[in-house]
Amino acid sequence: MSQLMIKVEGISKYYRLGTQGSGRLREDWSNWWKSVGRKSARADASSRGEAHIWALKDVSFEVGEGEVIGFIGKNGAGKSTLLKIISRITQPTQGRIRGRGRIASLLEVGTGFHQELTGRENIYLNGHMLGMTRREIDSQFDAIVDFSGVETFLDTPVKRYSSGMYVRLAFAVAAHLTPEILIVDEVLSVGDAEFQQKCLRKMKEVSGQEGRTVLFVSHNMQALRNLCHRAYILEHGVLVEGGPADRMIARYLRDSQVHFLRQFYPEPALAPGNDHIRIKRVELIPAYSGAEELIDIRTALQLELEFWYEPPGVSDLIVGIHLFALTGDCVFDVSSSRTTLDKGLVKCGCRIPANFLNDGSYYISIVFVSNTTHRLFYFESCLAFEVADYREHTSWYGKWIGYVRPDFKVTLEALNPDGYV
Amino acid sequence: MAEIEEWEWEIDPRYHWFKWELGAIPQYKDLLFRLVRRDLLANYQQTILGPFWILLQPVLTMLLYWVIFGTIVKVSTNGIPPLVFYLSGIICWNFFSDCLSGTMYTFIHNSAVFGKVWFPRLLVPLSVVLAQGVRMLVQLALFFLLYGIFYVRGDVPASGIGWLLLPVVVLWIGLFGLGVGLLLSVLTARYRDLDYSLQFILRLWMFASPVFYPAQLLSGKYGFFLWLNPMTPLIEAFRVFCFRREVDHVGYFWAAGGAVLVVLAMGIAFFKRHEVSVNDIV
Repeated sequence: MSQLMIKVEGISKYYRLGTQGSGRLREDWSNWWKSVGRKSARADASSRGEAHIWALKDVSFEVGEGEVIGFIGKNGAGKSTLLKIISRITQPTQGRIRGRGRIASLLEVGTGFHQELTGRENIYLNGHMLGMTRREIDSQFDAIVDFSGVETFLDTPVKRYSSGMYVRLAFAVAAHLTPEILIVDEVLSVGDAEFQQKCLRKMKEVSGQEGRTVLFVSHNMQALRNLCHRAYILEHGVLVEGGPADRMIARYLRDSQVHFLRQFYPEPALAPGNDHIRIKRVELIPAYSGAEELIDIRTALQLELEFWYEPPGVSDLIVGIHLFALTGDCVFDVSSSRTTLDKGLVKCGCRIPANFLNDGSYYISIVFVSNTTHRLFYFESCLAFEVADYREHTSWYGKWIGYVRPDFKVTLEALNPDGYV
Repeated sequence: MAEIEEWEWEIDPRYHWFKWELGAIPQYKDLLFRLVRRDLLANYQQTILGPFWILLQPVLTMLLYWVIFGTIVKVSTNGIPPLVFYLSGIICWNFFSDCLSGTMYTFIHNSAVFGKVWFPRLLVPLSVVLAQGVRMLVQLALFFLLYGIFYVRGDVPASGIGWLLLPVVVLWIGLFGLGVGLLLSVLTARYRDLDYSLQFILRLWMFASPVFYPAQLLSGKYGFFLWLNPMTPLIEAFRVFCFRREVDHVGYFWAAGGAVLVVLAMGIAFFKRHEVSVNDIV
């Protein structure tokens, strides 16, 4: 981080909502007329109470050479607007940005691809639009084609491509950009899982290269954690906090992920469910280990469930518990044995032991199945919780990988103290 | 982090009427030529006759005029063989009107690209004019072929020194189309109704320009009014240099030449002033 590449000072962006179309000529005229009278159209619009939003409010930050910065926030928090302003696609209402170096912005892949033209033509067209010179593309051409894996269709118009091929070719061009500053908005959310992995690896490689500065927006927290040195959290257009990526991501997840440990319905009529299953209570009871009410990896969790049950004819029942990580991956699927029950209130329990789940955010869904195969009811995402990290006797602070962190013993002993024989 | 004050670029909310940034265009010459190439390649995909349409379209129009204005209505061609007379008018007018209609929807037709990536926006209208220029050159070749045939038959005079000025006339016609197109491109993005009226106005404009009649018909009390249309002196200049005619109304030629530069400057200023803000609307 030797020198500053971008300095953003007090950027705000104001959008007027609605009022598109017919009245525009008259409106423009009256705005112009007022602007002659030194009254700004903006002040006027807000005083008239017209619908408007500040997509960004007084955002300032600095980016040093070689830094990889992530922006985190909900949809509509202003992340994309910010990247668009830095890419010069839209103009700020207030503030200024100064910087050095060539910028390439990847707000989508395949910008400017022409359906009628061949893959070869489009590599050049798209590459030039992203700021590459002819010589740069010539020297990278084989690498681009190789990465995309579409060499046999290079002289076919891209409208004949499958959507997968199209995306691969488009990303291949983008992945070989060599600007000083790269701006990336959520482009990794395209393509199949395998290709996404390939893209992530390439992104990591690109951002690790000498002095490449990257601004990155994604909802993929793992990608952000992997790639970014620093991150900023945006909320309703305001930059609320910035700092090390890991800490910012944890904070964002904690703020956005409310612990949801209990649901209780005294009346069957108002309870979620159907004719056969009505939920009375579902609850996750943590056995807190310390004085703080914090669920960490040492905390055992008792799941309790009560429901009204009316069997559909002659049948038995299985209750299954699905635990998911925030990414959507299922961590485990455990179920009760097949049990024949009469109509009435039923209680179900399950214990998730301490020192089993790794730190992270999880949610639980509960499935009710009769006669092994017939799904009676799926109580989706009914509980959510977060497990905090806890480490003793270790000097390593990186992310502990995996969804589970069981307390298995791993042994290590010397077999032959004298040599390698 | 050492604070340096040597910034290479700056983004601020001010509007700039005279910050044209034309100096940035040479850096993007690869993209410019690629856009021209795209325009020429993509337009004739999946057509049977392909690029022959560049020649076929003016030839068919020429024959149509010859039938209607040459034999039925009998409009004077001022002693010039009708076929070359019509063709000269048609290729000049088409060049202008293709430049104009190709550039006046710049923001609407490119909103998907302009919303995602930055490059000097002027490249797009410029590439349209250059691609039309290539078509114009092909059509000019056809024109001179026809001219040659009439010359051998002794119907038209030999080429004079005036021919050297033809490229200037063609350049001026293209710049005029570009200038008007740039002015309109901002307006079409803001006021969609213009779509319909512009088609109509463009047709009226053609009738007000000496495409299938000689400019000398524009005399009398209101004739001077039509001479104020820069296309009148421009098309007339083409014919004057081509057919070695005598020039009257010299003042109008200079006025037209100046008007083109003024319109072009206004067009660039207006375009640059709005090129970013228009994006929030389209």
